Amino acid sequence: MFTIKLSAKIYTALILVFLFAPIVILLVFSFNASKSLSVMQGGSLYWYRELFRDAETLGAVRNTLLLAITAAVVSTVMGTAAAVGIHRLRSRYLRLAYDTVTNIPMINPDIITGISLMLMFVFVGRLFGAATSLNFWTMLIAHITFCLPYVILQVLPKLQQMDSSLPEAAMDLGCTPLKAFLKVEIPEIMPGIVTGLIMAFTLSLDDFVISYFTSGNGFETLPIRIYNMTKKTVTPKMYALSTIIFFTILALLIMSNLIDTTAPGVERPEKKVRTAEQKKRLRIAGGIGVVLAAGMIAVMIIGAPDRPVLNVYNWGEYISDGSEDSFNTIKGFEKWYKENYGSEVEVNYSTFASNEDMYSKIASGAVSYDVIIPSDYMIARMREEGMLLPLDKDNIPNYDECIGESFRGLYYDPEDLYTVPYTYSFVGVIWDAEQVDEEDTGDWDLLWNEKYRGNILQFNNSRDAFATAQYKLGLDVNNTDPAEWRAALEELKAQQPLVKSYVMDEIYNMMESGEAAIASYYAGDYFTMVDSEADTVDLQFYVPERTNYFIDAMCIPSCCQQKELAEAFINYMLEEEPAIANAEYIMYGCPNRLVYENEDYAEEMGEEAMEILYPDLDQFAEKFNEFAYRNLDSQTLDLVNTLWEELKIN
Amino acid sequence: MRKENKGLAAVRRAVLAPYGVWSMIFIVVPLFFVAYYAFTDSSFRFTTENVTRFFTATSTVGGATVHTYLLIFWRSLKLAIISTAICLLLGYPIAYILSRASDRTQKILITLIMIPMWMNFLIRTYAWMTILQDTGILNGLLAKIGLGPVHIIGTETAVVIGMVYDYFPYMILPIYSVMAKLDMKLVEAARDLGCNGWNVLRRVIFPLSLPGVISGVTMVLIPSISTFYISQKLGNGKFYLIGDAIEGQYVANNLHFAAAIALLLMVVLLVCMALMQRYANKRAFV
Repeated sequence: MFTIKLSAKIYTALILVFLFAPIVILLVFSFNASKSLSVMQGGSLYWYRELFRDAETLGAVRNTLLLAITAAVVSTVMGTAAAVGIHRLRSRYLRLAYDTVTNIPMINPDIITGISLMLMFVFVGRLFGAATSLNFWTMLIAHITFCLPYVILQVLPKLQQMDSSLPEAAMDLGCTPLKAFLKVEIPEIMPGIVTGLIMAFTLSLDDFVISYFTSGNGFETLPIRIYNMTKKTVTPKMYALSTIIFFTILALLIMSNLIDTTAPGVERPEKKVRTAEQKKRLRIAGGIGVVLAAGMIAVMIIGAPDRPVLNVYNWGEYISDGSEDSFNTIKGFEKWYKENYGSEVEVNYSTFASNEDMYSKIASGAVSYDVIIPSDYMIARMREEGMLLPLDKDNIPNYDECIGESFRGLYYDPEDLYTVPYTYSFVGVIWDAEQVDEEDTGDWDLLWNEKYRGNILQFNNSRDAFATAQYKLGLDVNNTDPAEWRAALEELKAQQPLVKSYVMDEIYNMMESGEAAIASYYAGDYFTMVDSEADTVDLQFYVPERTNYFIDAMCIPSCCQQKELAEAFINYMLEEEPAIANAEYIMYGCPNRLVYENEDYAEEMGEEAMEILYPDLDQFAEKFNEFAYRNLDSQTLDLVNTLWEELKIN
Repeated sequence: MRKENKGLAAVRRAVLAPYGVWSMIFIVVPLFFVAYYAFTDSSFRFTTENVTRFFTATSTVGGATVHTYLLIFWRSLKLAIISTAICLLLGYPIAYILSRASDRTQKILITLIMIPMWMNFLIRTYAWMTILQDTGILNGLLAKIGLGPVHIIGTETAVVIGMVYDYFPYMILPIYSVMAKLDMKLVEAARDLGCNGWNVLRRVIFPLSLPGVISGVTMVLIPSISTFYISQKLGNGKFYLIGDAIEGQYVANNLHFAAAIALLLMVVLLVCMALMQRYANKRAFV
């Protein structure tokens, strides 16, 4: 018996090590002095300070909690009531019907629950011509819907264990039915209700997939915010946040009496008699929960600001937001607007992970934004499809002074009617001089070099990945000839055995730690990597002769509700202070004269960066028009998607 | 049984109503929307093209022609089944140990098992990348004791580790909850009648814990078959699973084909679950 007990202990310990290994990692890395998530460079509290300065992330935390608490409370109340009703259903068929329906969200993958609700919301929204069909409420509905079955399945067994003559006895003794229910039944099934509540809260808190499909205007939860950081990098700030969450939960669990009576997800083997004191605590806890949720909903409704709200939709990590001692552009605009126009305004800022992601959301009619910042080819597509509004340049007086000649009249907006450029950059090759011979560098062949098998990274997004092959082969990236796309596919297939990983934001970790030696990525992001490279790594960068040039520009989509306000925002973004702050934060090229002619900025960026980002600007327009992506017709897009799938299943 | 009090019956009907309405609108109707989108084109005319495409689309993989989506589906299923099996193998003993521990230990262990679930799963997956990378923590530790390096990231193993990790508690909790209620007298009786340890497990404990196993398997299999984040991060972007396919079509604004894939996935899973339920019911009466 002794050996069995000992091996059981060892086994349990091993499982706990497995469960807590990643938690320990994120606790440790949250104290990292550098930006890396894979190279530890001394301890500091830097990221904790950063976290508390990051209003957007804290806002996302608040949103996540608001959503989880509300969804948990509503689904617990409705689910408990439903369980009581279902328990006493006498019709076998009705009972079967309810059981089946309740099971649907549990045996459907979350991706299907998410898609099905999204399709319905969008369809109904379109039917009623609503400007936005996805918002906080649709997300709340979705969360309540997938939490409900878990509550019901926790409460039902408790009802079955309960002696059914109890409430009847209470009524015989003079209780009204309602009183009998509240005073006799509810306390009996309380453990199930509490477990259901905790489960619902947990599920809602951690949900990413369903939120991803049903999220809308400006209501961004933490998981979505993290997912949208995939073009830039996830910083230890998120680990710091997780660490705080971890210790909060730990503290709550230790303090709480709830673990004394019930453990989440578990029914107790024997029923315990609870003392009056414990019951009282349960009731108080429940009461606090209800009050909190009600209060939060009230704040949502009443607290909705009466001042105009500007909805801005931008790439993740693509604005100077006050983190790392930078300037807070959003707050800056709110202040600037008040000074210049005399009235208050509020910016509702949300992020997307890709042009296509943004396009899908806006095209579905599910959301409404006032300012968006897509890339060139997507601008061309949206303009052709009538999804953009022409700008009134009188409201953007900074335009003339700020935007350099090289950035005007570009193909996506030849008459400069719809756009004001925000950033530009190009794709280059990053290589680790510790692992790669300099003589092999210079063009795209490096990414196909057999010598570096297993050390090469490729884009995990179809257009950019295909483009590397097309530039290498001398093909046109905008060709619609399927044969040429196939040729590029064959080239990518040939590269596949050499590729270590298809990456987006993971590139930072992998290049900084020396995990990989060669990657192509956007100029600018390279500087971020150099800043936190490990001692054993020496990153270098070059731009091949033929490569992708791109511009991200501010536009106003046709779903805009506040055009003048949107134009004021665009105008503000060209002002010297925010423009420099953004350029320094993003580290891409900036088309604003006030920025690239500013000496302090040049000093801050350093010589290497200035040389890479601002080569001969006179040639920019020519190169851009030759090498930039154009909008592909839907047939070609579908082909690219299909070919991409073919590459990925190889 | 005594006839139920009328007032009480009315209360019960009234409390069921909100859920009844809610589940119709937000659970049942959306499924029809999936079917509707799956069988229409972008201008909402009827078509079977989306569904046919799922079965007929082909690609060249390693020189051979294969059915793209059937292959993707098969691979997702395979990884999900492997992960579920590992969860079951690792989780069943834990559930058993838990159910036999003292009350206090049970409470502490359950809490410990639950805590990782409260951390955001995207972040947890990120942390696994740090551990499993070729230059990661694991290889660092192995090198210190003179072993390794092992190459895990980007392999099937890494994806399976990620799935097992993320869904492990979903396997343990339902099994534990059934085992905790298991009557130990049955086990003693079996022993008294000459059953050895293995046979007690096989003939007494396992059949009695089957409902927990079934719900654990469901709760792990379903999410692991449709995940798209774990495979992207831990699979080095080299795994393209059914969840990736749906998300890819959604991002390409190809909602109708995304709906078709979702619909077919749903049908297959429903059939699987029905079969499993049937097996469970049969075993329960043996």
